[in-house]
Amino acid sequence: MADAKWGMVIDVDKCTGCQACVVACQSENNVPINTEDIFNQRRAIEWIRVERYWEGEFPDVKARFIPVLCQHCDDAPCEPVCPVFATYHNNEGMNVQIYNRCIGTRFCANNCPYHVRYFNFWEPEWPDTLTHQLNPDVTVRSRGIMEKCTFCVQRIRRTSREADRDGREIEDGARELSPACVNSCPTSALVWGDFNNKNSKVSNLAEKEMSHNGSHHGRGYKMMENLGTSPNVIYLKKIDKHAKETVAHE
Amino acid sequence: MSEEAVHNGHGSTNPVEVMNDLLEKGSGQKPLFWRITALLGLLTVAGIVGFAIRLTSDGLGDTPKWGYHMALFALILTAVQGAPMVAIAPRIAKAHWRRSISRAAELFGLVGVVSFLIYIPLIWVLPSMTDGRRTLWFYGELNVPAYMPQIMATLVLVSLVVTGLSLLWVSARPDFAFLRDRSQGRRRKWYGRLAHGWIGSSQQWYWQKHRLGILGAFYFMMLVTVHFNVSVDFGMALVPGWIDALYPVTHAHSSLQAGVAITLVAMYVFYKWGPYKEYINFDQFWGLGKLLFALSLLWFWFWFSSFIIFWYGAKPSEEAILDLLMVGPYLPIFFVVFFLVFFIPLWAMIWNPLRRSVWGPVTIAISVLIATALDRIRVYVGAFSVSQHENKHQLDSIPDAVLPGLPDVLIWIGGIAACVLVYMLAARFIPPINIWEQKELKLYQVHKKFHRTEVQILGKPD
Amino acid sequence: MQEHVQLTQKQINEDLLTSVLGTPRWWWPALGFFVLVFLIGMSAFGYMLNQGVGVTGLNRPVFWGAFMVNFVFFIGISHAGIMISAILRLTQAEWRRPITRAAEVLTVFSLMSALMAAPLVHVGRPWRADLWVFPYDFARGVWINIRSPFVWDPSAVMTYLTASTLFVLIALIPDLAIIRDRSTGLKRKLYAGMALGFRGTPRQWKLQTIAGILLSALVLPVFVSVHSIVSWDFAVQIGPEAWHSTIFAPYFIIGAIHSGVSAVATLMVVMVWAWGWNKYITPDHLDAIARLLIIVATAWFFFFFLEWVFALYTLEPAEMAMRKLQVFESPWSWLFVVFLFTAYFIPVPMWLFRGVRRSLFWMFVTTILVNVGMWLERFLIIVPGLMRRSEFIFDWGSYHPSIIELAMVAMTFAWVGMGMLVFTKVFPLIPLFDIKEGMVGRDEIRIGRRIVPASIRE
Repeated sequence: MADAKWGMVIDVDKCTGCQACVVACQSENNVPINTEDIFNQRRAIEWIRVERYWEGEFPDVKARFIPVLCQHCDDAPCEPVCPVFATYHNNEGMNVQIYNRCIGTRFCANNCPYHVRYFNFWEPEWPDTLTHQLNPDVTVRSRGIMEKCTFCVQRIRRTSREADRDGREIEDGARELSPACVNSCPTSALVWGDFNNKNSKVSNLAEKEMSHNGSHHGRGYKMMENLGTSPNVIYLKKIDKHAKETVAHE
Repeated sequence: MSEEAVHNGHGSTNPVEVMNDLLEKGSGQKPLFWRITALLGLLTVAGIVGFAIRLTSDGLGDTPKWGYHMALFALILTAVQGAPMVAIAPRIAKAHWRRSISRAAELFGLVGVVSFLIYIPLIWVLPSMTDGRRTLWFYGELNVPAYMPQIMATLVLVSLVVTGLSLLWVSARPDFAFLRDRSQGRRRKWYGRLAHGWIGSSQQWYWQKHRLGILGAFYFMMLVTVHFNVSVDFGMALVPGWIDALYPVTHAHSSLQAGVAITLVAMYVFYKWGPYKEYINFDQFWGLGKLLFALSLLWFWFWFSSFIIFWYGAKPSEEAILDLLMVGPYLPIFFVVFFLVFFIPLWAMIWNPLRRSVWGPVTIAISVLIATALDRIRVYVGAFSVSQHENKHQLDSIPDAVLPGLPDVLIWIGGIAACVLVYMLAARFIPPINIWEQKELKLYQVHKKFHRTEVQILGKPD
Repeated sequence: MQEHVQLTQKQINEDLLTSVLGTPRWWWPALGFFVLVFLIGMSAFGYMLNQGVGVTGLNRPVFWGAFMVNFVFFIGISHAGIMISAILRLTQAEWRRPITRAAEVLTVFSLMSALMAAPLVHVGRPWRADLWVFPYDFARGVWINIRSPFVWDPSAVMTYLTASTLFVLIALIPDLAIIRDRSTGLKRKLYAGMALGFRGTPRQWKLQTIAGILLSALVLPVFVSVHSIVSWDFAVQIGPEAWHSTIFAPYFIIGAIHSGVSAVATLMVVMVWAWGWNKYITPDHLDAIARLLIIVATAWFFFFFLEWVFALYTLEPAEMAMRKLQVFESPWSWLFVVFLFTAYFIPVPMWLFRGVRRSLFWMFVTTILVNVGMWLERFLIIVPGLMRRSEFIFDWGSYHPSIIELAMVAMTFAWVGMGMLVFTKVFPLIPLFDIKEGMVGRDEIRIGRRIVPASIRE
């Protein structure tokens, strides 16, 4: 699938903040268990996280949710700063991390404006009862290296290999191909697919919702566009009739 | 250093002979001098005409039209006002080679008046802060007047010019006294006033040294402040998204570089066409050449320090700035600047025959001066051509390059002619070689036999 | 007014070789202390290797902490050597003579400390850092990423280390020959080897001088590039808002000179106290270095001011939040006050007084204060800068170094102390030949009733 450019569209309006994506990601990708202790140390690892904001004063208060994961930027700030090429851009438009090469300078994590890179401060441990649920397709990362969302690259690889073998086409939005978070989302707030395929759901959404030369305004935006990182994740903003008209900081 | 260093200054070892020689040289008849002066006067008038055309046809409100005028002011500020530092810095470091240069450098303090005159219309050209641009002055947050940039820039510029004049006067006072004592009639009266009761008492000399030190330090601080105010308020603030904390320093640094260059050129003129050949020699060109070389290398460092942040960061706002100032409409100018201000000095000055000559450093100095002029055009014409600010964080579209019109050319010719004119007149009436510093040198210079060779011993008082 | 003490060559040899030919009573306990601290730090490092970076205080918003501060600090200290040796040599400042070697040796050891702080203990997998410093993986075509400032760093630091080591060695040759002539047995053989057959012929002297001047000139670009590159570790980043400033390179360099020259001044005082070399390091020398420091410190303060002005000029919320954090929130607020006072507002006004400039005790106190302040300066840039009070960053955490981390920080300091002590036992810390050269080239001129110190023009 060398001609693909994987990306995601996240409809914030549909997100209920249920955290199903977070749990799915933890189990699919062998992400270490975040105990209370580790949370308190501020060293938790969540490849996708649901950030929660409170808006308004009690009792007229609203919870806002926004899932944040690696944006797989086309011009990723994390890539040039890695001294050993542990993070680089592959030919499918993804920002990938090579665990074996990483020496843990943490430079990439500092330079990521989205704060989606996670460092293994400790050797990850699972209770004996859980060791058998580890995904055999995914490396268990040792201490001292960075990790982050891979768009479940193992699923892409396996599915495309199997499709090749069987000589079949993979449909857009096939469950076997999509990342775990997308498959687990009960409200289908996360949509994932190939931006190079003009008929894919993500392409259609991007066409419909993103503004093109200011001619048309949809709900789409990219996070921190002013940094010029060109993310491959598009957010669709919340529809709220009661929301105050505020000018976002550029 | 070199063997030529032994023949520093006038051959005589007697301070009084040196003084008489210098005074005599200052008082010859020079018909060519007056002819050149008249020509420069005419060119200055042409400049005033150019300014009048610009004023009547476009008015002061049309900022982009005044870019070249601003660039001229910036150039004169940069080159001329930086020159006195060439007297101040080696004087503080007690370097003896400065003695023949210091006055020629300080005379540029007088030319500073021209830069102030050119600055005056810009007070009205620069828009008030009500146009919503980013400013240093917390406009809208604090209760500052909308014309704060103009007020501050004027204040600091006036202080700089006044400090430059004071420095020149304090330094020339003993020389005025020599002239007073050796002239008659009206000249005697005027030099007497300028010497202001100088009789050369120990007390007066003591204060002389201290005043020069303090005025020098203050001049440097004012120079840095002026460059800070001018580069930010008349350049950076006009371009949305141009946030370059180093630029004021870069600007002040080019001032030192161009100051050294313009002093080198002036020294060459005195050396070649003036009667002061014995006082200016290899030592001076060697010292200034080394300084120019070091400052050219520093230019690269300052430029690169700014450039790499924008280039590596590559935010759209930063790319727009690089586009506007370097790789966009002004790319040819930038390329020439880079070549003249860094590339040529670097490769020429590591070449020994050139470095050890008189013409070599001067050629480099001219190259640096041309580059400084082009650089100021690049920055200020570019900045002035951005006309819409309105709370922008970044430049949306890059304006086209603004080409000079006839008034601009006239203003430039007139402005530069005025500077040369003022300098020539100043050098006519104030000894362009510092007499008392030359006398002092003779006291500190001793030749002694050392084993089998003769060496020069130089005193360095604390 | 400089005093004019003329010393004979014999006396110079005797005085300055005391550290090599004899062992003061405090030497062994002092060395023992540094070795102990170093070993404690090494044990802490071993524990960290075993457990992971988790044993430090680092956490998710603050990925870089005390190690990085230490790295920048020691690179800063290392700027002393070249500042004193190369720049003062090229500008022919006479007062440089007794302190050149001490400054150069300080450079060498602090560079080693810096390397110890940043690639060694800083990274997550130190056993793999060799991949980065010494790229070996040619076979698989894995090359280091030259776009990363962390590749520029080791290149610049290693070049600087090589150049400064050469500097020290070349300046040592004539002195080693003297020690060779004054020792016997195995020691003599060792020194003879190191002296490379130096006999003091005119040709040898000429080559030695040329090598020194050439190295001075060639090392200056390295001097400038090293700390610029260190500053670009931070400044090229767009993640932490507060670091992305063009002024970082000059600001770091001038700060490095400030702390480095102060460290040399501290060292001068320590040298007088430890070996009684007060005939060589006189109040005049302290006076000169303090005057230099006033200028350097004020220039540094100007850059500091500019950095702040342009941070406020942006009015970016993240930048403003970071500045508020630095100035108004404990503990950063009081650290900030301590930093300002120790780095500038206490020492510089004190140096304006002649009495302070010429006093061993006060120079010791003020220069130590400067380095406390400069360490804090780096700390206040790195840590609050990483705390990232910006939108979409849910982790607004804080950071404080753990005990394990501090042990490793102490280790890098102990390394410098240890290295300097061992060096003085093996080599003279004041260059004998340079002092003698100064004595020969010195003269006086009588003008009326005044006597002005003078020197022979080279």
